[in-house]
Amino acid sequence: MSRFGRQTVVGTFLLLLASAGVVIAHRRWSEELPNYAYLSGWVLMAVMILLALYNMRKRLPFLSLGSSEAWLQIHVYAGFFTVILFLAHLKFRMPTGWFEGALAWLYILVTGSGIVGLFLSRVLPRRLATRGGEVIYEKIPALRNALRQEAETLVLAGGPQVIANFYTENLHDFFRRPKYFWPHLLDSRRPLNAIVTELDELRRYLNEAERTTLEKLADLVRRKDGLDYHHALQVTLKLWLFVHLPLTYSLMIFSVLHIIIVFAFSGGAR
Amino acid sequence: MSEQLPAPDFDSQNYQRPNQKWICGRATEGSPCRKGPDNKGRCGATAECAPVLEKKPGEEKGRWRCTRSGGACESGPLPDGSCGRPAVKCAPVPTLRTRRGQLTRAVIVATIALLLILLGGSWRGSFINPGPISTAHSGEKFASMHGTNSQSCAACHRAGDFGPSGLISAAWHAKPGPFSLTELAYARRGESTAIDTACQKCHPGHALHQPNVVQDVSCSYCHQEHRGPMAATTDTHCGICHADTEVMRAASVKGTRLPEDAFHTSITRDPNVFQASRPRSGFTNVIHRFSSDHPEFRLHADKRRDPNTLMFNHALHLTSDTIQKLPSGQKLDCVFCHQPEAAGVYFQRIRFEKHCQACHSLQFDPETPGLTLPHGNPEFVSAFLHSLPRQYADVAARSGITRPERQTEFAREKLQRLQARVVSGEDFEKRVFFSTATSGPERRVGSVNGATSSLYLGCAYCHDVTSGPHGNPVITKPLVFDRWLPRAQFNHAKHSAVTCGNCHQAEASHDTADIILPTKTSCVTCHSAAGGVSDSCATCHTYHRKL
Amino acid sequence: MPPTPSIVERPQRWDVAFDPAMTDADVDRLMATPPFSNMPVEKFPKRTPLREILRNDTSIRRYRKGEIIVRQGDYGTSAFLILSGATRVVLKPDLPPSLLGRQAPSKKGFFRTLAQLWSERRPPESFRRKDLRHDSGLGARRDEDENVRVFLQDLPRVLDKHRTEEMTAGDFFGEIAALSRMPRTSTIFTASDEAELLEIRWQGLRDLMRSSDELRKHIDRIYRERALASYLRATPIFRHLSKEQLADLATQVQFASYGDYDWSGDYKRLAKAGSMRPEKEPVIVQEGDYPNGVVLLRAGFARVSQKFGSGERTLNYIGAGQLFGFDEIAHNFQKPQDPVPYQHTLRAIGYTHLLIVPTRVMEQLVLPTLSQKELSRFANGRDGAPPPSAPQPSATPIAADTLEFLTANRFFNGTATMVIDLDRCTRCDDCVRACASTHDNNPRFLRHGPSSGRLMVANACMHCADPVCMIGCPTGAIHRESFAGQVVINPATCIGCKACANNCPYEAIRMVEIRDEGGEFIMGEDLRPILKATKCDLCVESWGGPACERACPHGALERMNLNDLESLADWMKR
Repeated sequence: MSRFGRQTVVGTFLLLLASAGVVIAHRRWSEELPNYAYLSGWVLMAVMILLALYNMRKRLPFLSLGSSEAWLQIHVYAGFFTVILFLAHLKFRMPTGWFEGALAWLYILVTGSGIVGLFLSRVLPRRLATRGGEVIYEKIPALRNALRQEAETLVLAGGPQVIANFYTENLHDFFRRPKYFWPHLLDSRRPLNAIVTELDELRRYLNEAERTTLEKLADLVRRKDGLDYHHALQVTLKLWLFVHLPLTYSLMIFSVLHIIIVFAFSGGAR
Repeated sequence: MSEQLPAPDFDSQNYQRPNQKWICGRATEGSPCRKGPDNKGRCGATAECAPVLEKKPGEEKGRWRCTRSGGACESGPLPDGSCGRPAVKCAPVPTLRTRRGQLTRAVIVATIALLLILLGGSWRGSFINPGPISTAHSGEKFASMHGTNSQSCAACHRAGDFGPSGLISAAWHAKPGPFSLTELAYARRGESTAIDTACQKCHPGHALHQPNVVQDVSCSYCHQEHRGPMAATTDTHCGICHADTEVMRAASVKGTRLPEDAFHTSITRDPNVFQASRPRSGFTNVIHRFSSDHPEFRLHADKRRDPNTLMFNHALHLTSDTIQKLPSGQKLDCVFCHQPEAAGVYFQRIRFEKHCQACHSLQFDPETPGLTLPHGNPEFVSAFLHSLPRQYADVAARSGITRPERQTEFAREKLQRLQARVVSGEDFEKRVFFSTATSGPERRVGSVNGATSSLYLGCAYCHDVTSGPHGNPVITKPLVFDRWLPRAQFNHAKHSAVTCGNCHQAEASHDTADIILPTKTSCVTCHSAAGGVSDSCATCHTYHRKL
Repeated sequence: MPPTPSIVERPQRWDVAFDPAMTDADVDRLMATPPFSNMPVEKFPKRTPLREILRNDTSIRRYRKGEIIVRQGDYGTSAFLILSGATRVVLKPDLPPSLLGRQAPSKKGFFRTLAQLWSERRPPESFRRKDLRHDSGLGARRDEDENVRVFLQDLPRVLDKHRTEEMTAGDFFGEIAALSRMPRTSTIFTASDEAELLEIRWQGLRDLMRSSDELRKHIDRIYRERALASYLRATPIFRHLSKEQLADLATQVQFASYGDYDWSGDYKRLAKAGSMRPEKEPVIVQEGDYPNGVVLLRAGFARVSQKFGSGERTLNYIGAGQLFGFDEIAHNFQKPQDPVPYQHTLRAIGYTHLLIVPTRVMEQLVLPTLSQKELSRFANGRDGAPPPSAPQPSATPIAADTLEFLTANRFFNGTATMVIDLDRCTRCDDCVRACASTHDNNPRFLRHGPSSGRLMVANACMHCADPVCMIGCPTGAIHRESFAGQVVINPATCIGCKACANNCPYEAIRMVEIRDEGGEFIMGEDLRPILKATKCDLCVESWGGPACERACPHGALERMNLNDLESLADWMKR
C-alpha cells in the first residue's frame, strides 16, 4: 500500500479505537463518577494543548523535533479525537449559559475550520497542479501588473477602436485586479468562457491583421485568468488559517479561564 | 481548455523571501528596491546609494564617491556626503502572514478585553452562570438574605465575589484541587463538598436522616442546582445508600451499637401514631425499587394487631342487614364516619358524638327516646343516673309541660315505669356500665323509637370496662391512632380515584384488632412500572426528617 | 503550424579555446618541449593536429611561491605539466581545511541552534564580521589576468608541519582527476619562487592520449596503478576474484572518456536552443552490436535507449557504478547456442567516463566466479527471453514523459534534488521559511522550477554526483564536506567571482550582495557591493538533516537521489 494510504489506515484505526474507548468509558463512568466532567475536561485540555504545540514546532524548524508531516498527522487525528472527547465532556448536550456556550462555539469553529482546512489542503493543490501556470503567490501582483501593461499597450496604443472600446468597457477592471474568486474556487470556467466568447464575437468587425491583435488579447486574457485561478486558490489555502489560528488563541484563553472558574466555583457533587 | 498553462517566467537571480515580514511597496510594479523594508515595516530606501568618503593618500579632504550598485550616477554625492538622488520611500506592504499575525494579536487582545469586561463587572454572574437557578435561590430576596446582590454568585459560591487573584487562589485550593487527579477520579458519588456549608447556612440540620447513617451525602448530590426548577430526587439518590449492600451492612452494624434512645424521635414519641417496632438491624434492607425488594410494611410484617380498646366490627357495620339506615335514609358507608380533614390528606378523628351517636344514641329508656346518657366520663354518667328525676323533669319541660308540678308528676311516672323494668337502681347502674350484648344482667336496656335494635346495650358493649377498687367502673380510654404508617406520607386526596374498599379490606374485618391498612402488595398494584403510577422512593418517603 | 527548426552551429571541437591568449610563440615553445617534442606529429588526425590541440586545449599558467595550484578534494578538468620551477605535493595528512579555503565541518552547538529563534530579526544576507574572517594563513592576490590566486602565507611552517614531495619540470599531475572526474587526490602548491605550468584540459588530454602511445601508456599505467585497483576491488561483480585475478583484470580493463562539450556553458546554450535530443549525443554502445564488453560507468551519466518507431525511446539513465551489457554477456555465457546482441543503445550525456571489461575477460575471469543467484541478480534476466530493458536497477515504472523531463534537464545528476509533488504542496512556504531560519533568515533555494505533470524540480542545489560548480573555484571556497558529501560554499573565502554560479547548469547558485548586521550593504574598496555565492548546503551544520524536507507538513517535498530511479519511483507511488 502507498505510504499515504498506510498513514490513513493506521491513523483511522487508532482514532476509531480511541473513540471506542472514550464511548465505553463514557457509558461506564459518566453517571457513576461524580467528577467525570473534570476528568474528561482535563483529557480534552491535554489533547488540545498537544494540538496547539504544532504551531510551536513550526516555529522551531531548526530543532530536530520530528518531521512536520508526522506532526500534522498527529494533529489531524488528535483533532478528530477531540470531537468525541468534547461530546463526552459536554455529556452530549449543548451547554446553557453564556460563557460555556461561547466556549463550546469557539471549539466548534476551531475544529470546523480545521476540518475545512484539511479538506482544502487535499483538494486544491491537485487542481492547481492540473491547471498549470505555477506561480509564487507574492509574485502575482507584479505579474498581474505586467499583464495589464502588456494588454494596455497592445490595445490602447494605436490598436483598432473596436478592441479598444471593448477593453475599456469590459476588460479594464478584469486586468486591474483579481477577479472571479468564487468561480475559480468552484472550478467554473464560465466567466472566462464568457469573455472569450465575447471576444470571438468581435471577429466579424475586424480585418486579418486586427484579428491577430485580438488573438494576442485573448491569450493575455487566458493568462490573466490562469493567474487569477492561482491567486484564488492560493489565497484560500492561506486564508483558512486566518480563522483557525486566531480563534485557537481565543479558545485557549477561554479554556484556561473555564478551568479556573470551574474549580473556583466547584462544590457540586455529581 | 484543458492543457496546462505554461508557468509565467520570473527571474531566478534573486531569492524569494517569504520569511520577511514586509514587502517593498514597489514590488507590484515589478521593481522592488534591492534594500527592502526592515523588520518593522519601514522602507529601507533612503537614497540611491550610501556615499563613501574616499581619501587618496596625501589628500586632506577627500572626495565623496557614489556607491550605487548599478554604477555611479553622473551628479555624484552632495558636498556634505549625502546622496544627491534621494529615493522615494515606498509604503511597505505587510505579507499575508504578517497580517495573520496582526489579526491574531488583535483577536487575543479583543478576547482578553471582552473577558475582562464581562468577568470584571456586574455581568459576571449572568455571564458565567451555567444554567438557570431554581426560583427559591434566585431573586433579590434571596440575595439580600446573603448580603450580596442578586447577580452575584457569592450567596452559595465562596468565590463568587473574588477578583482574579482570588479566583485563581480559590481554584488552586479547591478540594479536590485541579491537579489532584487521583482524588478527582476516586471521589465517591455523593461525597460532601464545599458547597454544603453554603447550603446549610439556611438549611441546617443536614444530618437529619437516621443516627446510624454511615456516609454523609452532599446536599448537591440530590438537589442539583443550575438546572432550572429544582428537580425532584430520584431513586438513584436514595439508592446511593439504600441500594448499596456494603453501606446498609455498615449502617446496620452501627445501629446495633447505638442505644435505643438514639432512635426515639418525635414520631416514636407521639402517642397518636402507631408504633411499628424498629427491627434489630434497623431499616437497612437493601432496596432497589419499591415494586421489587422493598420490604413489607412493618405492621403487617410483624403481624401487629390494633391495641385499641374500643370494640368495633367493620364488617358488621358495613355489610350486615341488621344495621339500621342512617338518618338520611342511606346505608352506612365509610364516608359517614371517616371524614377527611380540610386538606384531605388524612381523616378527622372519630368522635362519638359525630359519628356513633346517630345510631348508638345511649337511650336507656325505651319509652323516652329523647333521654340519653352523657358520653365520655363515667362519673358524669353516674351523676346522671343519680339525678334521673331531674332529667325526666327536663324532658317534661322540653316536651312542653311548663308547670313544675306537672313536670314532677311526669318524672315520677317515668321513674315508676323504669323501676318496673329494672331490679334496682344499683343494678341498673351496673347494667349501664357493664352490660355487653352477650353478657351482663340484661341483654337489652333501651331502644330507639321505632327501630328494632337500639344498640345501647351497655358501655361495655363497646368499651373496655373494668371494676375499680370501689366497684366503680373504670373505662379504658380508647386509643384511636391517627397514623398507622408514620414513616411514609400518604395523601388520601390524591387517591380519590380509588375507593376505600380497594385498599382497606374493611368489609372483611370482623375483629377490632384487625389492622385494615393495605399491604405493600396492594400498593404495588398501582405503584409500579406495571401499574403505571410512580413508585419512586420520594413518592412516600422523605429524607430530611427524623423518623 | 510546425515550429521552425532553429538552426544552430553544431558545437565544434574548438569553438571556445581554453586560453585565447595562447600565441603561436607559446605553441612553438611547447612543441619544442618534451613530451610534446617526442610525440609523432603525423599520428595525430588531420582534424586535431598537435599544434591545434596545444593552442586550443592548453594554457600556460605562471605561479608564484606558495600559491596553491590544486586542492585535495576539488574537482578539476585539467591536468598539469610542470614546464619550469618546482611544486610540492602534500602527502597525508593533508593541509587543514581552513588553509584550503574551507570551513571545518562542524554542527551548530546547542546555543547557536537556539539562537536561531531570533534569526527573524536579522536583515537579509547579513553577515557577522567573524563569519567573514578566514584563516590568516591564506593570502590572495590578483594576477595579470585579474584572476585570484591564493597563496600560503607561512610557507616554511607548512613545509615544517606537513610531509611533502617535490615535483619538477616534466612532471605531470592531475590527469586522473581530469579524465575520470574524480576529486583531486592531493594538494599541490608552488615551491620555487616562480613556476610555469601547462594546464591541459581533459579534452586535450584525451586527444593527446589517442595519438601519443607514450603518453597513453604513461597515463594508462598510473591510472591502473593508482585509481583502478581499489575501485575494482569494491565493485560487486568482482568481489569473488582473488588478488591475482584482480591484478590481471586491472591490466585488461579499458577505460574511456566520452563527451564533446563541457557541461555548463555549452549545455546551457544548447539546452536553450533545443538541440539536446538523444540522437545528438555520442554513442558509446549501439543497439544490435555484438556485445564485446561490459560497460562499467565510473563518472558522469549515460542514457539507455531503444529504437522506437522512427526515434529513440529513453528507458533509463545510468550513473556511476552501474553496469551496461552485463545481461547480454551473461546470457550468452550461459546459452552460447543462442547469443543475443546489445539490446539497447548507450549514449554519453555531457561528460562520461567509463571502464569496459572485454567479453573475453568476463567469460574467463569474472562470470565463472559468480553463482547462479548472483548472475540472475546482477542481470535481472529471465531464462530464454531476451534480457529486460534496464541494467542493474530493475525496470522501475517511471512514466515516459517524466523520464524524458529528467533526462532532458539533466536532473539525474542530483544526489539531493529537491522534488516537489504539486498535488500535495499547499504552497505554504513552510519549507522556504525553515531554510531561512536555519540560515540566518536567508532562504537558500527557490520554490519554483521546471515541472512535468505533478512533479516539480525546485531550484535548489542538487549536490550533483558530478559537481560542475566545483570546477574552477580560485579560492577553494566551494568544496565537498566529505567524500561524495554535500557541496558547500565557505562565505569567508568566497570572493564572488561567479565561476560556480556561471558553471551551474541549473542556476542553483545565486550571488548575493552581503550586508552588515544593521542591514547596510558592505562595500569593497572599489565601492562596489561585495558578492558572495550562496546555495543550499543540505543543512550540513544543523542537526536533523535538511530543514526543508522536515518542515513540509504534507510530505510534498523530498530531497531525492536521482542517480537511480528506485527512490523516485517509490516516492511517486507513495
